[in-house]
Amino acid sequence: MRILQEGRSEYLKVDPDGYRAFVRDHKPHQMVSKLMTHKEAVEKLVRDGDYLAYDCNYFMRGPASLLREIIRQKKRRIWLCGKFTYVACALMVESGCVDRLDIGFIGFGPWISRAVREKKCTIYEYSNAIMTLRLKAGAMGLPFLPARSFGGTDGFNHSGCKLVEDPYTKQPIIVVPALNPDVSIVHVNQADEYGNARVFGTGITHQECALASKRVILQAEEIVSTDEIRRDPGRTSIPHFTVDAVVHAPYGAYPGTVPGYYASDPAGVVEAMGAMFAGDFRAYLDKHVYSVSSHDEYLEKVVGASKLAEICRRETIREGYRI
Amino acid sequence: MSTPAANFNEREHVICQVARMIDERYIYWVGAGGEPMSSALLAKQVHAPNLQYLTEDGVVGPEPLLPFDPLMTLVASRAVYRALQWSTMNYASDVAHLGYVDYGILATLQVDRYGNVNSTVVGKYEGGEGRRFGGPGGADTIAAVSWRTILVTDQQKRKFVDRVDFISSPGFLDGPGARERAGLPPGTGPWRVYTPWAMFGYDTDCQLMLQGISPFVTVDQVLAEMSFKPKIAPKLERLEVPTEEELLVLRTKIDVAGQVTDRGRWIELRDGKYVFSDT
Repeated sequence: MRILQEGRSEYLKVDPDGYRAFVRDHKPHQMVSKLMTHKEAVEKLVRDGDYLAYDCNYFMRGPASLLREIIRQKKRRIWLCGKFTYVACALMVESGCVDRLDIGFIGFGPWISRAVREKKCTIYEYSNAIMTLRLKAGAMGLPFLPARSFGGTDGFNHSGCKLVEDPYTKQPIIVVPALNPDVSIVHVNQADEYGNARVFGTGITHQECALASKRVILQAEEIVSTDEIRRDPGRTSIPHFTVDAVVHAPYGAYPGTVPGYYASDPAGVVEAMGAMFAGDFRAYLDKHVYSVSSHDEYLEKVVGASKLAEICRRETIREGYRI
Repeated sequence: MSTPAANFNEREHVICQVARMIDERYIYWVGAGGEPMSSALLAKQVHAPNLQYLTEDGVVGPEPLLPFDPLMTLVASRAVYRALQWSTMNYASDVAHLGYVDYGILATLQVDRYGNVNSTVVGKYEGGEGRRFGGPGGADTIAAVSWRTILVTDQQKRKFVDRVDFISSPGFLDGPGARERAGLPPGTGPWRVYTPWAMFGYDTDCQLMLQGISPFVTVDQVLAEMSFKPKIAPKLERLEVPTEEELLVLRTKIDVAGQVTDRGRWIELRDGKYVFSDT
């Protein structure tokens, strides 16, 4: 394939054969229980220097409680997949967890700007759909996939993508490097103890994240029986063999919504956005991350039972979610 | 109810302009918030009840339950309510790659004479010196593979520049044939730019052309708020002001808290003419 033009940025090494071997040697092929706490899952499965992807975002069925636990455990030198997200990247950068960011869309804000200027964080440019396509390539066991977007942009120059001559049509086409993260975290609606999981509603790349990643932590709103999973197999979004840990995380997306379960907390959303763009991010981290030692304690002491009741009451739509 | 309004602001005016372009015979991919989403929701409420649009979380043809909580324009249950299909981002991108998306609607920080879109940085990119924004998000895909792209921005000199500081999402790049050379599908590209003051199309050489003007500004005022001189169509269309019906829906159902529309100048009908309220 003739290369016509190349982005000049560093990208996570593409190694589909290495990933296959990893799957053979390390993925849980047998059904084994993987229930653990936030603390245990992050201690065991998130490592300094990892490439980390998370699905959806801090406000929309995102793994907010695991993100807070990663910050609490002071993980370092993480390369973060920043697609379809607002505040989580800024929280991770400002707390010192992240030194590299692939960007599709993030809430940028002054904190990341400062980290970039001080050379504490390096950024690489993509778009949301280019990042989801990179994960799709990783989830298909392929080294790359072609796309008919991203060409001609300045983002291309700051990415790991290439413009090549399509061997079939002879036309120029973009190819994107497969992404196989070291670890992915995904909030699901329901999972059994083995990691067979259901995601309800629309989404971004929950299935791709699970299939493409060496280590996968699910946080589940509800733990259900395997019988319940088998009752309606068409609703299974993620199979157990991709999953390394299942964390029971009721209200785990707070202050965001889990559609069909609870609404977002507008005050919590505004507080996080305000802290990111204009306010005191340190104070936000102190209150929402460091002041407590677990998600349960966070719900009890910081959020409170009346707030949880309120966000459940405000979510009136059930159609299409719980079955 | 289609009475022209006597009092409205710039933001409401531009949302109504874009909403009126929306036609239920076509499929749209709508940017995740701001004016594009408000325009689609308004069109669906006022004149296009069967409007089908996609958003980047893979929703197909929702019948949203209004209003939304702050930022909850995607994924949230009210935003995706009673859709025809729920899916994910790669699926939405596939649908657009296939050619089903007739129009993409996007907001931009900066646009240039070729309709290139900047949502990444104003100023210098290298070293993180410029003022940095969130990145293209889904807009790069929308601008690349929708047949026609509609942009919404403000009529300000710093927003209409000869060359954007960073091409986040592709317009016509640097002229005819450039999109195809960059691997984008033929026959696609920018189609309109709407601001509260004016409407632009593109000439056959892919350059921006002023085609319509709002009744409360002059051509000279529009040109004074651009860093380059665009082509000007021989006959300029007059952009009609919002109707009372549109404003009622916009204010009571779509942007109840004013998160999208609470900026920009107000316009009023004074002695039979539309003028800025602050003049």
